[in-house]
Amino acid sequence: MLETNSVAKLQKIANQLRLDVVKMVHDAKDGHPGPALSAADIITTLYFRELNIDPSNPKWADRDRFILSKGHACPALYAALARKGYFSVEEFQGLRGLGCLLQGHPCMKKTPGIDMTSGSLGNGLSIGVGMAIAAKYRKKSYNTFVILGDGEIQEGIVWEAAMCAKRYQLNNLIVFVDHNGWQSGGQVKDISGLLPILPKWEAFGWHCQTIDGHDFTQIITAIDNAKKTPGPSVIIAKTIKGKGLPYMENDNSWHKRVPTDEELAVAVEVLGGNANA
Amino acid sequence: MLSYKGTREAFTKALIDLSAEDDRFLLVSPDSLKAMRATPFAELYPDRYIEVGIAEQNAVAVAAGLASCGLVPFVATYGGFITMRACEQLRTFVAYPRLNVKFIGINSGVFGGEREGVTHQFFEDLGIVRSIPGITVVAPADEHQVYHAVKAIANIDGPVYLRAGNGREHVVYDQDTPFELGKIKILKKYGTDVALFANGFIMNRALEAAEILNAQGIKVTLADVHTLKPIDVEGVTKILAKCGAAVTVEDHNIIGGLADAVAKVSTDHCPTPIGRIGLQDVFPGSGPAEAVLDCYGMAVQDIVKAVKTVLSKKR
Repeated sequence: MLETNSVAKLQKIANQLRLDVVKMVHDAKDGHPGPALSAADIITTLYFRELNIDPSNPKWADRDRFILSKGHACPALYAALARKGYFSVEEFQGLRGLGCLLQGHPCMKKTPGIDMTSGSLGNGLSIGVGMAIAAKYRKKSYNTFVILGDGEIQEGIVWEAAMCAKRYQLNNLIVFVDHNGWQSGGQVKDISGLLPILPKWEAFGWHCQTIDGHDFTQIITAIDNAKKTPGPSVIIAKTIKGKGLPYMENDNSWHKRVPTDEELAVAVEVLGGNANA
Repeated sequence: MLSYKGTREAFTKALIDLSAEDDRFLLVSPDSLKAMRATPFAELYPDRYIEVGIAEQNAVAVAAGLASCGLVPFVATYGGFITMRACEQLRTFVAYPRLNVKFIGINSGVFGGEREGVTHQFFEDLGIVRSIPGITVVAPADEHQVYHAVKAIANIDGPVYLRAGNGREHVVYDQDTPFELGKIKILKKYGTDVALFANGFIMNRALEAAEILNAQGIKVTLADVHTLKPIDVEGVTKILAKCGAAVTVEDHNIIGGLADAVAKVSTDHCPTPIGRIGLQDVFPGSGPAEAVLDCYGMAVQDIVKAVKTVLSKKR
């Protein structure tokens, strides 16, 4: 069982990442805060507990790999990388700016710590399959983690990759579906015939779990379970878009929207972090 | 020693030879092993053969993942399925991060797709990849050039698209003719009346046209522009300057391929009249390989006529 203070520590980090997201989008006057907040707890768990990585050596060949396939949630990833020490938090100021380190969507050539470029939806799982096959071929023990959005898995290539991962029994590939129920144009249930999600992965032969994507204990347990499976594993993480800020939660206008000065002040108050740290 | 017949077999032979010395080379197959004539590679190196099923987008994205881990995957299948169906994966996840993935596109051109018809005749592939930053683009002229070109592209870091055919390609080079990536190769120097720039599996027709023209007293210089991007600006400019008129010959739409690449060099460095032999921006149809080329404006006599036309415009 996870120690209570470990959970408290992760919660504190997640709050800081959420505040970083809001501040980043506020200052840049552009970006996707809602999708970033929905994935923030999973990203926190991966970067501050799970991933075997070395910020002083971002290209370390034996590191665990991470792909944020729903690349528009990148402010949360940038926050995690900066807080982990890959680059200075001062880079937040340049988000989406000309010549900046932090591109509008993740770019592996420009930002230290980004394992793969992303932003065009659906592609991260196939790329993760390639990384996982590379590990098998090179007899390396690293794992590859991918976060997909629930809207994103409407893309056909996701299911091409799902078949491929099963064919190669990639037990070193662990996938989260950030299931917040929303996509750009509205609710997933109204836009596509995707739901329910879990039986589809089961039908593709994957090990499947459903968890609360904001419960650190459940996230950690699910990862531990996934590591023990003989093949690829998916964790359907039920999440809330905009999680952590009452004015943002389940309001899809925050898919892409800029917080006002007042909304930033509320975030500081609610999350209890330091907007300038 | 070398042993292959056909451009796909030449690719497989080159990959096998490369793999004997370097374990980074992999073959990513969207169920294209048979089409690529690559079964001997898979038998020799089963762990270097990655089968992803009929899923080209997945094939290219998987290759991006492999390349990001230091491997050098060759994605080999029908050229149009790489450049059209998986175009975005090629552009955003291979070219943009400059990953070391090699693409081999078969059935290139109208000739390559021949009786299969438009779904398998790929005459836009070069234009598509040429417009993406950072990709080297190669259109070899026969099986021997494919063999040497595959070895050459394996040794550069970065994405490459290379055309192969369907088995009907004419041999125009000796087996041991050296291949220099990025440099044109002058095949005939009858004279400087008109420059003929050609590439791909239509080269035999350019050679035949040059010979006919020579017999009629029109002396051309014929150059093989096998590396379409980056094009040999200096080499092309020199010939343009000497000849003062040119005709391009390619089994590709006249938009986006060799014609445009040579025209750009010309307008930048040495303006000359240029005639364009290729598919004239129409959809072709099924037919025997030689007949479809003849039918759609790529007959030897079309080349001869284009040379005479451009010669008359020469100042």
